[in-house]
Amino acid sequence: MKRDEFLKTAAGGLLGLVGTTPTLLRGLLTPSPPDAVWVENGEPVELIRAALEAMGGIERFVSRGDVVVVKPNMGFDRPPQAAATTNPDLVVEVIRQCFHAGAKQVKVFDRTCNNPLRCYQNSQIEAQAKAAGAKVTQVRTQRFVNKAIRHGVTLTEWPIYRDYLDADKVINVPIAKHHNLCRVTLGLKNLMGAMGGERGTIHSGFSQKLIDITAEILPTLTIIDAYRVLTANGPSGGSLNDVRELRTLIISPCTVTADYLGTQLFDISPTSIGYLREALRRNLNQYDLNTLNLKRISLS
Amino acid sequence: MARTRRGVQVAFLVFFLVLFVKARYPYTGGLPSDILLRFSPLLPLFNFIADLKISMLLWPGLAILALTPFLGRFFCGWICPLGTTLDAASHLVKSPQNPQSQRWTKLHPLKFVLLAASVLLAVFSVHIWGLLDPLSIMNRALTVVIYPLTTLVAEFSLLKAASLPVLETPAYAVYDWFKAVLMPEQQARLQQVFWVALFFGAILGLEKLSRRFWCRYLCPAGALLGFLAQFRVFERVVGPACPDCAKCYQGCKMGAIPEADVGLADKVECIECFGCSEMCPPKVSAITYRWSRKPYHSSIDYSRRHFLQTTLGSFAALGLLSIGIRNKDANTRLIRPPGSLPENKFLDKCIHCLECVRICQSNGACLQPDGIHSSILELWAPVAVMRTGYCEYNCNLCGQVCPTEAILPLSLEQKQHTPMGLAYFDKDLCIPFAKSEDCIVCEEHCPTPDKAIKLDPKETILPDGTVKLVKYPYVVEELCIGCGICETKCPLTGTAGIFVTTENQIRPTSQDIIGSSAASA
Repeated sequence: MKRDEFLKTAAGGLLGLVGTTPTLLRGLLTPSPPDAVWVENGEPVELIRAALEAMGGIERFVSRGDVVVVKPNMGFDRPPQAAATTNPDLVVEVIRQCFHAGAKQVKVFDRTCNNPLRCYQNSQIEAQAKAAGAKVTQVRTQRFVNKAIRHGVTLTEWPIYRDYLDADKVINVPIAKHHNLCRVTLGLKNLMGAMGGERGTIHSGFSQKLIDITAEILPTLTIIDAYRVLTANGPSGGSLNDVRELRTLIISPCTVTADYLGTQLFDISPTSIGYLREALRRNLNQYDLNTLNLKRISLS
Repeated sequence: MARTRRGVQVAFLVFFLVLFVKARYPYTGGLPSDILLRFSPLLPLFNFIADLKISMLLWPGLAILALTPFLGRFFCGWICPLGTTLDAASHLVKSPQNPQSQRWTKLHPLKFVLLAASVLLAVFSVHIWGLLDPLSIMNRALTVVIYPLTTLVAEFSLLKAASLPVLETPAYAVYDWFKAVLMPEQQARLQQVFWVALFFGAILGLEKLSRRFWCRYLCPAGALLGFLAQFRVFERVVGPACPDCAKCYQGCKMGAIPEADVGLADKVECIECFGCSEMCPPKVSAITYRWSRKPYHSSIDYSRRHFLQTTLGSFAALGLLSIGIRNKDANTRLIRPPGSLPENKFLDKCIHCLECVRICQSNGACLQPDGIHSSILELWAPVAVMRTGYCEYNCNLCGQVCPTEAILPLSLEQKQHTPMGLAYFDKDLCIPFAKSEDCIVCEEHCPTPDKAIKLDPKETILPDGTVKLVKYPYVVEELCIGCGICETKCPLTGTAGIFVTTENQIRPTSQDIIGSSAASA
């Protein structure tokens, strides 16, 4: 290397070091972000803003130029008040945050249980998410690809939506609901909306099959919408008598952790839930749940 | 004039297609999609036979009937979308000119036979004419054959094009537009598709024998309008300049101009297409049209003997229909759309147009054209096949578009309280009963706010002696509305472990008597 080249490189390196020092210092000085955040007493938008702030900002999860999939629950032909589908205000705020972090594209879809056109419309997510700039598309049967399951107990492969697999980041936005097979449906169960094939067959030997598949497609971030919670007659609901307004939100990069916390919404023990037991048995949790760094926030 | 007529024909066909495409969720009012079906001139007649009163709902058909005595069969020449399709088809198959198709003219009485037989049978409450109604035929072909086929071809070719790197972006752009605007639904797959296609294809294929073969010899609507047009006061006048070249005789698409005297036109057959003036050599232009005070008369080609034969044939048919098997097994699964009139009345009113099947939210899964179980009257009436599709809880569209109100236009709340049937478990198949494993898919999807399928957790002893807690599903009759989502979603590969039967179904006779609390909307 010639002398002037060396000088140039050195100067550049030095400048770079000086430039990044504040960031490095901030990184060293601020405590590491929590493993999960539990926010209460707020409107959906306030809840998610507070939660993301406590998590260290959306930039921690979404980078400039990313293609992000936001996966709400739009599985049923119900209005948001029925708490069978994810709160549209929350979904919209998540989309805005993604764009704020520089996401190139945000895609929203769900493989629904009822008529897909009705579900998209009546959950009110389609119109609002489109207005926020997301690409909301119907699930097309030909866009599923078989995903190999490496460590499956009962399954060796399952069709997964291509857009989901191709995304740089996935933000999973389930709503907390009662469900008679697995008692509650939260983050892991919400990923069924990206699954193709005959989903009904997953229901026999449910815990193992669900964890077989979800282990392969765990999202970047899971946000459990517990603004309204369906406490009975789920997951389809339909009676407002079964809806409780908890005005709560749980967020964690670890879906298993989020679900583990989500069970507390229903006052049930996490180990009473088969698929959660199975996920923990396979060590799918990113954090040690006994020493979990959970931040609880209560908005006034 | 012929050019104007062609424009009007195309406009009505496009109108028909637009209404057809618009007949889907969200169906938010505006122009009712069944309005063109109510243009059928047969509808007011047969509806009167069924109800003994004139329904103002059918005003378009009544208007056609009122104008025909003065104007003649203008409906056939200008409005009927089947007629327009036949005109297009005749170009495709190169129909022969009249001298070559002369031998078929002896079939002229046939359409009157079909009309008279339809009337006679309808008097005895056998309404079979809907199968032959031209608008019904058109809508049925669109629903069962043309639309699904177009979806298939369009999706396949666009997706194939999108797999080429060069075309990927434009092909997907067209595809997205297609799936957003024109055909948002998934591929429809209907039973009876082959037979409906054959029926429609045969009508088109008859163009090979002569132009407008269907309209000349078979169409009962054409017969009714021709009957009314006998004395029409709108006349074709052939001036003295006529060189008797017989071009109009050869080319008339209805064969309404006699070879012997091209100065006349059969009022029963003429459909006012004004084709003859177009065919008249330009230098001559001998043909004009005018209102005439002293109209000449053309009689219908239908004798007393024909009528006698028709009557005998109709009574024979009536007898045969009456002695056919009453298949109770088939009744189990004869689930009609929600709000359908009681079966007999329903079959009186249904014109087999399948507009309900078209708009059904399951899109060619739940509502299907029926086959024949006990009698031919069931053919191509709507039936709910719940293993392939279910009745959407929040949807009441089928009743909104039924042109004859054979399916009552129930409010959503009324519909949600009008059971189509009742679900039963087949415990030899149902997973928890047959395999002692939890499943609950039916319970999960059950849409009633208080679920009609509930679970009863019970301990069971497995063959190896271990005790297992299994959730056994059961149906609460008072809550079940027979929507069939349980049957559709049952995860078994073949026959479902739960199925809906007509037990417990409500077939209202009028909208007012359904649960007074629900009737408000």
